[in-house]
Amino acid sequence: MVLAHQMALESTLVEAEMIEAMEFPELADRHQVSGVPHTVINLGAGNVIGAVPEFYLVAEIKQAIGALAAGKAGQHPSI
Amino acid sequence: MEELLNEQIREQVKEVFANLEHPVQVLFFASKEGCDYCPDTQKLLEEVTALSDLLGLSVFDLETDQATALRYKIDKAPGFTIAAKDGEIIVDYGIRYFGIPSGHEFTSLINDLVMVSSRNSGLSQETVDFFKTLEQPVVLQVYTTPT
Repeated sequence: MVLAHQMALESTLVEAEMIEAMEFPELADRHQVSGVPHTVINLGAGNVIGAVPEFYLVAEIKQAIGALAAGKAGQHPSI
Repeated sequence: MEELLNEQIREQVKEVFANLEHPVQVLFFASKEGCDYCPDTQKLLEEVTALSDLLGLSVFDLETDQATALRYKIDKAPGFTIAAKDGEIIVDYGIRYFGIPSGHEFTSLINDLVMVSSRNSGLSQETVDFFKTLEQPVVLQVYTTPT
C-alpha cells in the first residue's frame, strides 16, 4: 500500500500521485530526484527521501504547511 | 499481445482480491503522442481488473477526452486514477499513478485496489485526527523507479 495514497483516501484535501521517475525525467529533474522513493510535498514546500513511517510523513506535511507553528511542535519526531 | 501476468501471479492476485468489498473503477488515460508505456500500462490494467467482478476499467484518451482528464487531474500519460464506484457514482479520492506500475509498484497497485475497495485508509487514529483539522490542500508526489 502506498502511504501517500492512504492519506488521499482519508482526506478530501489530500491528493497523491505516484510518478515513475524514468518515464517522466523532466519532472524528476525539476524536483532533484535521485534517491527513491522521493516524496515532494506541495510542489517543493517539503521533501522526504526514502520510505518513511506514517508519523514521520505526517510531521513533514505539518512542517510544509506551517502547522508546526500552531502549537504542535511537540509532535515533531526527533529523527 | 502476449499476457503480461503469468498464471502464478494471476492466482496470487486473485487470492488477494478475495478480500475485495466494494466496487472500484480505474480510469486510465492514454496518449497517442509519444507514449511508449501506454499500451503495456493499459494491458496490465486490463489483466488486473479482469481478475475480479468488483473491479472496472474505463479507458480514455488524454487529448480527445480532455474534459474528463481535467476533471480527474490527469495531465500526462500513461496516467490513471483509482476511484470508488458507488452505484453509478464515481468517487475520486485523488489517488493517481503516472507511468507503468511494474516491479515493486505492481504490489502497490494491488494493495491500493484493495484499500479503495475497503473505503478504509488504515491510517492510525492520530493521523486521521490530524487530517480532520487540515484546512488547506496537500499534494503529495511520490517519485519511484521500477525495481
